[in-house]
Amino acid sequence: MNKFHLAALAFALFATAAAGFLTCGGLVRMLMFLELMLNAANVAFVALGPAEPSRAYAALLLAVAAAEAGVGLALILALAQVFKTAEAANIKELKG
Amino acid sequence: MIVAAAVWTFGAVALLATVLMIFQRSPVKAALLMLAALLSTAGLYLALSAQLLAALQIILYAGAIMILFVVALTALPAAWRDRPAPASFRRVLGLAAAAVILGELLKAAGPLKALTVDAPFSETGALGLARQLFGPFVLQFELLSLVILASIVGAVALTSRRRGNV
Repeated sequence: MNKFHLAALAFALFATAAAGFLTCGGLVRMLMFLELMLNAANVAFVALGPAEPSRAYAALLLAVAAAEAGVGLALILALAQVFKTAEAANIKELKG
Repeated sequence: MIVAAAVWTFGAVALLATVLMIFQRSPVKAALLMLAALLSTAGLYLALSAQLLAALQIILYAGAIMILFVVALTALPAAWRDRPAPASFRRVLGLAAAAVILGELLKAAGPLKALTVDAPFSETGALGLARQLFGPFVLQFELLSLVILASIVGAVALTSRRRGNV
């Protein structure tokens, strides 16, 4: 097992999550795939970087992911209240 | 040997859960598949000898963030979650874009083939991580507390304005 295999694993996780993000239409589900993309980036940090700094970066990224999920879900709830839908395709107007 | 087997097993489970999530129609089942992916990522961290990160992953991702997603799914009325079958050309386009991303990343990672993974497994505690967070990364760490504060204020502002309108 060399570092390329670990990198390939993290990249496959990232690309799969990106495929889900690009193909699904629901806002909550898009945010879920976004979290999985961040998670894959975290795996790449831990697998490839020098031991201790990369783990510190990964811990910082965990906090960023938590903050992002909080704001993202609040935005989705506010948007869904205005547009009465949680599908990205049904939100077409900029001025609600 | 056993570490490599654990890495591949947990990686394969995470990948499989993500793939199944794409084709899952029910949002709650998709959330449970995401939970499986996050838990197997925690196993991956354990195999890569980052034990503290595995614990953080379970507490933060699999605990806090997943609860947030499930609560958000229940807060949205079911009628708003009408899922029109996405246009197939859009789906093909998305899959092709993801395949291009994967191909480019793998091409860029070519030089990594020369590097072997050195220490197979080691025990790492919280002390090393704390030395990093309060040493070279102290500015980022403190800035991150501001980011989290801003996200709390933003989330409260967004949802309380909604309640005021009703």
